[in-house]
Amino acid sequence: MRLLVVEDDTAIRDFLKRGLTESGYLVDTARDGKSAEAQAGEEVYDGFIIDLGLPDMDGLDLIARCRAQGHSAPVLILSARRSVDERVRGLEQGGDDYLTKPFALAELVARLRNLLRRSAAPQQEATRLHVSDLELDLVRREARRGTQLLQLTTQEFALLEYLVRNAGRVVTRTMILDHVWRMRFDPATNVVDVQIYRLRNKVDEAGNRPLIHTIRGVGYVLKEA
Amino acid sequence: MFSKKHRNRGPSAAWRIAVWPTAAFAVGSALAFAIMYFLIAGDIRARSDAWLVGEAETLADVSDNTPRDNLYDRLVQEVAELATHEVSDPNLTGDRQQNSVFFLQTQPTEGPIWVGPAPRERFLQAIQAAQLAPGTPANVSVDGWRLPFRVVFRDRGKGKGIYLGFADISGVHMLDRLTERCLLVWAVTVVLGFLITWAAAYRTLARVERISDTVSRIGSEDLSSRLLEGPHPDEISRLSRTFNNMLDRIQASVHQLRVLTGSVAHDLKSPVTSIRGSLEVALSEPDRSQWRERVAEAIEGLDRLSQMLNTTLDLAEADAGALQLRKEPLDLAALIQQMVDLYQPTMAEHRHQLTTELQPVLVEADLSLMNRLIANLLDNEVAHLPAGCCVNILLQARDREAEILIEDNGPGFPLELRDRVFERFVKGKASTGHGLGLAFVDAVAKAHGGSVTVAERAGGGALISLSIPMVEVLREKVVR
Repeated sequence: MRLLVVEDDTAIRDFLKRGLTESGYLVDTARDGKSAEAQAGEEVYDGFIIDLGLPDMDGLDLIARCRAQGHSAPVLILSARRSVDERVRGLEQGGDDYLTKPFALAELVARLRNLLRRSAAPQQEATRLHVSDLELDLVRREARRGTQLLQLTTQEFALLEYLVRNAGRVVTRTMILDHVWRMRFDPATNVVDVQIYRLRNKVDEAGNRPLIHTIRGVGYVLKEA
Repeated sequence: MFSKKHRNRGPSAAWRIAVWPTAAFAVGSALAFAIMYFLIAGDIRARSDAWLVGEAETLADVSDNTPRDNLYDRLVQEVAELATHEVSDPNLTGDRQQNSVFFLQTQPTEGPIWVGPAPRERFLQAIQAAQLAPGTPANVSVDGWRLPFRVVFRDRGKGKGIYLGFADISGVHMLDRLTERCLLVWAVTVVLGFLITWAAAYRTLARVERISDTVSRIGSEDLSSRLLEGPHPDEISRLSRTFNNMLDRIQASVHQLRVLTGSVAHDLKSPVTSIRGSLEVALSEPDRSQWRERVAEAIEGLDRLSQMLNTTLDLAEADAGALQLRKEPLDLAALIQQMVDLYQPTMAEHRHQLTTELQPVLVEADLSLMNRLIANLLDNEVAHLPAGCCVNILLQARDREAEILIEDNGPGFPLELRDRVFERFVKGKASTGHGLGLAFVDAVAKAHGGSVTVAERAGGGALISLSIPMVEVLREKVVR
């Protein structure tokens, strides 16, 4: 998968390139709108990451131009401004998702993966999910560890489902709040941590191999060992 | 420096203000004078015409009834002379008076009888050229005479005609004198009127000028100067007062801004110090496995920092009235319940009891902001309550407002903070927060047309009450 990162800030551009390359993408970069347009004309990209505050043009204009030239690959917008209005405008102009600075690399990668998956052929929706000996029945909303049925609240099940769907990948607290509780904010209290702690007590009960792991400074990951 | 520049800025508006009314006055009064002039002139002419017609009739009778003998010409001539003397103006010298009237009788066989100024040929020529209609006075210009003569012609048949002509020199003189005086009075009133208007406008505008001088000095130098408001409560005094009020507000905002910038900078220092410290320790750590811990600490510090920056920005937007609300109908009870579900485990960790009494209430509000508002209130409880307290959230509809009451049985707000809890960076001594949470709650409530207050709960503890207008009320406000 080849991506084009359009960002004028050298530090952010380099860190994005490094982070995305480590995640297995081929990454090209552009420092302004003009060169981005030129590069998009020469190479076929599977996705764009575009900063709105470019030196030579508004990022929204760049998106509109790319769309006009027939590039249909998903666009992830980066912005320093956080107004809801701008988010809406960005999505209307042809952006597919929107991320405000500062952001966690894990979140950027997760969103990008979502976008790229969305643009590919739709998958068959599974009714059961497995990780190791953990099994989720999405129809009956039941979770089992081995043969034992886990006593989960609705919220805990939703949280576990989100972790399982992203098994092996780090999810941040913001992502959890957004996807499980449909809220976009940073609570001053460690509510997510406590929720995870409670879930972990049930999922990784004594004797079971731990599945839910804390990645300090970033978030959580559900994986074997 | 500024005031000098402003004083030399070309023609004053006083000129423009004075010119237009003066011009209107000048034109209007000139028109009035002109109408008066023509009325008087018409009247004078009517009177002289009446005299001419009557006198010509008399003279015609005399000329018809006088027997035709040797004395006929003499007699007619003398009667005509007598008649011409009737139009006497004692102010005029005899010569000019004589020159202003003539009598002419044309006869079929004998030569004409002429009483009037010489040379009579000019008059005869002019009369012939004029071809007068009998009985109606008409103007006849005579070579060498400034004024045209009013001439009336009476046709007595058989080639006999009587002409009586009259140049109303005294009337014209009277009109000339009238015109002269009118012009003088007109000119004086116009000039005087202009000067008075200009002076009044100038005096008024000088006050405006002083205001603009002061204001420009305030802009460039300091914010503490104020305008003099003047003794009369007129428009300009009100302008000054408005400016002063505005300056008061600007000064307060600037002061607040300085305090805020200071607070933000101060509050940034400690997280920046700790982040820097973590990273420095990581660098000097020989054991690479320890790096992970330090870097994670640094990232957590940065997360807290960016959260604080976000809230500060939101508050700044709210202050500037730029908080963009995407209002939608919200079931407040469901929203609070969802938030309580999220916070319940955390509350339980602190051994708090979180209970709710929620009536279904529909408000029109921004979902994301309301989420954060409730979260901030709950964060506040978690941060300030000692372990093992009770928190109750009550939602009810009251007076077309949704009322949210959050009460706890903790220590309550410190007395010295109670009036200032909604100011930013105000926080309790033991608080680990950044003092923005309740300020944000206040800003969001206000942006929705609501309010929030704190009080001592009966029986000890804190009571925060929040009201948000319900849907119907909001609609009415929009209509109004």
